[in-house]
Amino acid sequence: MLKSKKIVVLGHFGVGKTSLIRRFVTNTFSDNYKVTIGVHITKKVIEISAEDKVSLILWDLEGTDDIVSIRNSYLLGTHGAIFVFDVSRPSTFQQLSSDLAILNEKLPKVPLMIVGNKADLVSEVEVKALFEKYALKVDFLTSAKTGKTVNELFLNLALLLTADA
Amino acid sequence: MDENEKIELLKDILFANEYEFEEKISKRVAFLEQTLKERGRLSEKVDPIIIHQIEEFKKSIPTTLGPTITKTLKIEISNHKDAVVDALYPILGKMVKKYVAQEMKLLSSQMNNQLGFLAFWKRKIRSTYSGKNEQALILDDLNETKIEQVLLIEKDSGILKASFTKSETIDEEMVSGMLTAIKSFVEDAFNKKDQDLELIEYELYQIHLQNFATHYMAVVVSGTFSLSSKNKLQDVIFDFYNSYMAMNLDLVFDTSKGSKSIIPVKRSQLEKELKKYFLNAKI
Repeated sequence: MLKSKKIVVLGHFGVGKTSLIRRFVTNTFSDNYKVTIGVHITKKVIEISAEDKVSLILWDLEGTDDIVSIRNSYLLGTHGAIFVFDVSRPSTFQQLSSDLAILNEKLPKVPLMIVGNKADLVSEVEVKALFEKYALKVDFLTSAKTGKTVNELFLNLALLLTADA
Repeated sequence: MDENEKIELLKDILFANEYEFEEKISKRVAFLEQTLKERGRLSEKVDPIIIHQIEEFKKSIPTTLGPTITKTLKIEISNHKDAVVDALYPILGKMVKKYVAQEMKLLSSQMNNQLGFLAFWKRKIRSTYSGKNEQALILDDLNETKIEQVLLIEKDSGILKASFTKSETIDEEMVSGMLTAIKSFVEDAFNKKDQDLELIEYELYQIHLQNFATHYMAVVVSGTFSLSSKNKLQDVIFDFYNSYMAMNLDLVFDTSKGSKSIIPVKRSQLEKELKKYFLNAKI
């Protein structure tokens, strides 16, 4: 059986939301940074069991400095969300707890994955120190550049959503 | 030790540092002379500096030379318009020619269809009964409004529930998402919560959007989409949607099991219904 699920991917400017999706959907990466304007929609069907498939409709929302300014209409009917920050830029996760509080208000009861991207730019020791300093709780540490744990992120979310359904 | 020897010893003591310094300078001068004489060794030292300067120059071109180049080009184009037209004509000419040829081919193929044996007699009969001449009927047929594609979309999420299409197109689920995003953006932009986007036009096609409480339907139409066509299309849409709602009501509760689980209508069943209503719909 094929189910369709709407996933919104959000976060600050330049944290690698589009690159994460591109890595997942087409398994490619580009250093050429292009700002997403409005929203860009892509899709990937993944097999979660012998009988079940999920069509993930990925809404890549434009980056914002302020989570409050995300258009509510883009979030309507969301089944799952991914909040992405850049582990090499503290400004993208310094407000993480307040950003998440706002997101939980905007997307009540929607499963949310917190992702630290660009893991290839910092060492494990630095990451550990950052997490301790800012008391970060992250679901996945990814690198769109190397592909590290990108597929795992989307597969986990798909499993979570189909288990809920 | 005589006087002279004492003086020599004193000189050695006094000028020892200077001797060493002089020797170092002599060696350094000899090394520099050698470097300057040998091209290879000189380029080793100078090349990185030149490369750095060239890179800096490249970076500064947009700010230093850019405005001058742009200004010069503008003046040149303005002074030699004929030359610019001559240069661009072959490129633009080819594009226009290709476009016209393609359209002519399409028109010719449609005309051939219209001029077929069966179509000929059908038209003759229609012409006799309607009083319209045959040329007008051919043009009417060519401009006929056709339903190309129908999408039933969940309003909030933009998830495609079912679709019907006469020809293969790009991924319908992505189209549904994009249409929903466009709708959301436009409706947000005008800040009118109770108003909906109803029509999107592109070249030869129009997308008619019919909004309902939880879903909307996007119907891609080609040909002349008049008010009368719109009314007829809405009738077909409302008939389909009534049937869809009835199917939902039948399936909301699984009464056979005595439980109250909600069973969604199967996509294949919905697509059969869409085909039934839209395949031969005349609008």
